[in-house]
Amino acid sequence: MKFSVKNVAEPLIFFVALLALWEVLVEFFRVPAFILPPPGDLYVAFTAKFYILYKHAMVTFIEAVGGFTLSFILGVAFAVGVVYSRHLQNTIYPLIVILYAMPKSAFAPLMVIWIGYGLYSKIAIAFLVAFFPIVVNTVVGLKEVEPELLDLARINKGSEFDIFRKIRLPNSLPYMFAGIKVAIVLSVTGAIVAEFVAANEGLGYLILQANYSLDTALALVILLILAFLSLALFIGVEVLQRKLAPWSAEVRQIEGSF
Amino acid sequence: MRDSSPAAQNDTIVTWDPRVPLLIDIQDVLKIFKSAVKTVHALDHISFEVHEGDFVSLVGPSGCGKSTLLKIISGLLPATSGKVSVNGKAVDAPLDNVGMVFQSPVLLKWKTVIGNVMLPVEFARLEKPPYLEKARSLLRLVGLEGFEEMYPHELSGGMQQRVSLCRALVTDPEILLMDEPFGALDAMTRDELDLELLRIWDGKRKTVLFVTHNIQEAVFLSDTVIVMSPRPGRVIRKLGIDLPRPRAMEMMSAGKFGEYTLQIRAMLASSSGTPGAAVGSTT
Ligand SMILES: Nc1ncnc2c1ncn2[C@@H]1O[C@H](COP(=O)(O)OP(=O)(O)O)[C@@H](O)[C@H]1O
Ligand SMILES: [Mg+2]
Repeated sequence: MKFSVKNVAEPLIFFVALLALWEVLVEFFRVPAFILPPPGDLYVAFTAKFYILYKHAMVTFIEAVGGFTLSFILGVAFAVGVVYSRHLQNTIYPLIVILYAMPKSAFAPLMVIWIGYGLYSKIAIAFLVAFFPIVVNTVVGLKEVEPELLDLARINKGSEFDIFRKIRLPNSLPYMFAGIKVAIVLSVTGAIVAEFVAANEGLGYLILQANYSLDTALALVILLILAFLSLALFIGVEVLQRKLAPWSAEVRQIEGSF
Repeated sequence: MRDSSPAAQNDTIVTWDPRVPLLIDIQDVLKIFKSAVKTVHALDHISFEVHEGDFVSLVGPSGCGKSTLLKIISGLLPATSGKVSVNGKAVDAPLDNVGMVFQSPVLLKWKTVIGNVMLPVEFARLEKPPYLEKARSLLRLVGLEGFEEMYPHELSGGMQQRVSLCRALVTDPEILLMDEPFGALDAMTRDELDLELLRIWDGKRKTVLFVTHNIQEAVFLSDTVIVMSPRPGRVIRKLGIDLPRPRAMEMMSAGKFGEYTLQIRAMLASSSGTPGAAVGSTT
């Protein structure tokens, strides 16, 4: 992503035009507000309920970031384990692959039984959805090292730890970041889905409440907030990546895998 | 083959100055890769000697085991049978007095030029300051002064390969193992680097084992060219190259040079059994 005046101005103009069109069409066809409120209503809902929105957004933010952080720590540790231990690769990895094939959000009702109604069951789901992209990408990054570099290390009597520290770990960073970007957005989704299942706070919970009272404007405002939240986290990661692994642009990465 | 040619007379008669000690001794080396799926007979009874300060090239068709042979010599890979000794000692572990240059530069993208050159020093846990000096002077030698703090992606392919050469030389190894080091470069850059390599070799008196599939390059650079057969790789001929040093590009157009290249081409063609490949040798 490159930011320039043209890159910012063009979508901005398009966006404003879209809003205007929306307002006009809703007026013209007299669409009921509970089906599609005009954008003005969204603004009103946003300002009127700002504090409530803020409070619930914070809850979802903590759940998502909490789950993500956990998935990052455990995911990277697990990836290192898999790369270095044939036993782990032969035992736990297949299990993880099966788990990977399951829809993680379907665990949400079970998580309520296992860990309860509160914050932790949401963190657990956010963790589950974020874990796999981090593991898969980090494993690839740790393994995808030019064999000649390993020869070079052996010739110079480099230790296994040196190879890890000086070659494998930095080599994995661009891949790891690719996984992190997927994971951090997924963790927000995970938190929301978990809140849908059972919660009394958070933006997911608030969307359901808005739905019950046919407050479509509020529901749409929440969706927009979620978009901005995810985007902010994504951009935060991108900025961090440019600081910590500026050579990422030179690396062909495997994105995706969620 | 025209037996009256000066090159042919020199064929296999590689005479050594007895005062130059033997450095690498390869006797009857055999290599078979066995896996559950298949067995590959890579090297077949390879024997030759390399003396201190020699520049020896290996030419042979792709897949004939040249890279494998270099790995066996450096101790990175065990031979199935046979004997390799360096400085009179049998090689049974990775050697620490070799520098390696590969076909691709394999530089660390996250390290600067100087950081990349220093990598062997870091692995070997040597004291840095003197080697930092050495690294800088090597970079100066290959014309990369002022590029020390740049990153690999900011350099051209030829410059990257120069960095890779400096990295191989930084610990001042006795032996330089080069596996098609300039094979991926354009012809002009390759010529440049060939000359540079000779200059460095001349100044530092390294022993070089150089793999290439470019016959002209092999003749131009070497004291001896070892011609290998298709897999399983055997030594077809050890050809002494009797051209004066220092070598210059103009020599490539001299009659003797052409004789050598034709001879090697003919050997490769007859060993591969493809008549088409021999076309070049009949002109
Ligand atoms: N680690 C290995 N396992 C199995 N076969 C190998 C291995 N390394 C090389 N080979 C095989 O040995 C043969 C010689 O390979 P190589 O030394 O790379 O040839 P060259 O460098 O002359 O092109 C090839 O057929 C290759 O497939
Ligand atoms: Mg090879």
